[in-house]
Formats: sequence, structure tokens, C-alpha cells
Amino acid sequence: MAGPDWSGGWDPFHEFQREMGRLFQSFDPFRALRHVRAFPPLNLATTGAEFVLSAQIPGMDPGEVELTVTPETLTLRGERRRPVGVKDDSYRRQERFMGRWSRTITLPDRVDEARVTAQFADGVLTVRLPRAEGARPRQIALTAPGSGSPPIDIGEEGGRP
Amino acid sequence: MSDSHPPIRVPVGPPGAGRSRGDDEARHAAQARPAITPPIDIHEGPDGLTLEADLPGANESNLTIQLEHNVLTLDARIDEPDADPARLIHQEFPIGDYHRSFILSDDVDRDRITAELKDGVLKVFLPRTDRVRARRVEIKS
Repeated sequence: MAGPDWSGGWDPFHEFQREMGRLFQSFDPFRALRHVRAFPPLNLATTGAEFVLSAQIPGMDPGEVELTVTPETLTLRGERRRPVGVKDDSYRRQERFMGRWSRTITLPDRVDEARVTAQFADGVLTVRLPRAEGARPRQIALTAPGSGSPPIDIGEEGGRP
Repeated sequence: MSDSHPPIRVPVGPPGAGRSRGDDEARHAAQARPAITPPIDIHEGPDGLTLEADLPGANESNLTIQLEHNVLTLDARIDEPDADPARLIHQEFPIGDYHRSFILSDDVDRDRITAELKDGVLKVFLPRTDRVRARRVEIKS
């Protein structure tokens, strides 16, 4: 059928996109991932002594975010809800993720879960995870055979028949 | 975790409000970081439209909303915490500036647009002009 489609209701809103804008966006290496990525997106950094995890959870009440840490893993859980009293059919556009979400990551090294701290600002959760004492590189003394301890098996040859 | 804070009112200004225009253009020319298109929702209520945008990391000092003729533009400059010497080992989201523009029709009452920002979510209310509301009532009856 020719003519404008009015079935969507009142929509005086059109996105402004210039070709120049598109050209610049094509340099964005994350563009292809934007629509398939998990929620919330996580970045993990390290300072050597600790890991720093950042999660983008805009609009979440920090009191409703569940954070669980073990020496090897970190789990974040929550639910993003639509504003109360807004009917589904009143939406003209829906791009933001809503609903229950959960992410679990395995940490690259053991952390001291008792000293983990978290803070939430401007929709970004930052978790600081100090590495466990035992996880830091340390010198291991080798014992020679005959000194009472069993010999150290290197394992390279011993594993084969 | 910090306690939740009340929403911040973000003024919707004419071009150049908030920060200098020339400075802006110099930044865009450099294009050092990716420009991120934030996801948005738009829903319609009896008095107008509400736009919500996810802008994690944006706050009162780095977000500008401009209205130039009929184009509404959201811009937020997000800085990496440079005091932090942390090295990224896994990355799922880029650190960059947010940018998105919209064309408003004459049905939006531009003088009464309001915006607020809370916990990284921007909410912009775009009221319908009285003229449109009156016309709508006519059609219904």
C-alpha cells in the first residue's frame, strides 16, 4: 500500500544519521559485537597485585546486584526492569537490554575473596580483587634425593610406557 | 557500593552551551577513541515521548544535550581513569565517547524538554505541543 504507515502511532522522531557519521563508525572495532554481546559487558584489568573488573550495569540499583566471589570465580546477578506503568505497546523503540541477567567469569589467578571490594558509580560497577598470597610467583626450593623427601618427578619421560 | 543518589537535572541547551564548540571540533578531528552509539528506548505517554539511553560512565560534568534547530544531540566524553595503571586483559566494552542525534518534529514542544541522569541512564522527556493534543481530541470524538 502506498502512502505513510500510520499504524505505529505518533512518531515525530527520526534518527539523524549522516554518511560521515557512518564512515567514522566503520572504524569502531566493537560495532559488529554490539548486538550479540552478553549483558552486562565486562572488562578485566590487572595491576599485578590485583584484578580490576568493570561491569556496565546502567540503571541498576546497587542494592539489587548480587555479587559472589570465590578464590577462582566471580558471579554477578540481577534484573533490569522496565519503568513501572509503561505498557509494552507504548514503545516506539526498544534497544536496551531488560530482564534477568547473570554472568560468571573464571579469574586468571586465585584471589583473596575476603579482601574484595566493590563500588558502583554512574552505572558502572568496579570490583577490586587482590590476588591471593599463594597465587603470586614465589621461589620454590628443590630437595635433592636422599635428604628425606621423595625425588621430584619431572614427568616428561615418566608418563610414557 | 555507594548509596543511590537522586537524579541529576541535565539542562538542554542551545549549541555551545556547557563547553566550547571549537574544543569539541578539535576532539572530533583527532578521533583517538571509538564513538559509541548508546542503546535507547522510546515510549509514548499521554503527554509526550520519553527517551531513555544507557550511558554508563556519564555524569553531570561530561554529558551535554543540545538542541539545534530540530536536532537533539547527546554527547558524553568518557575518560579512562588515568590514575590507574591497570592493564586490560579482557575487554567486552570499549572506553569511548557517546554520541547520538535525533530529528524532532514540530509536534514536540521544544521549550519544555527536560532531562535527568541517574546511575548511567539518561531520561529525556519530550512533551507534545498543546496544538497536537487539541487536534488529537478532535479526531477521537
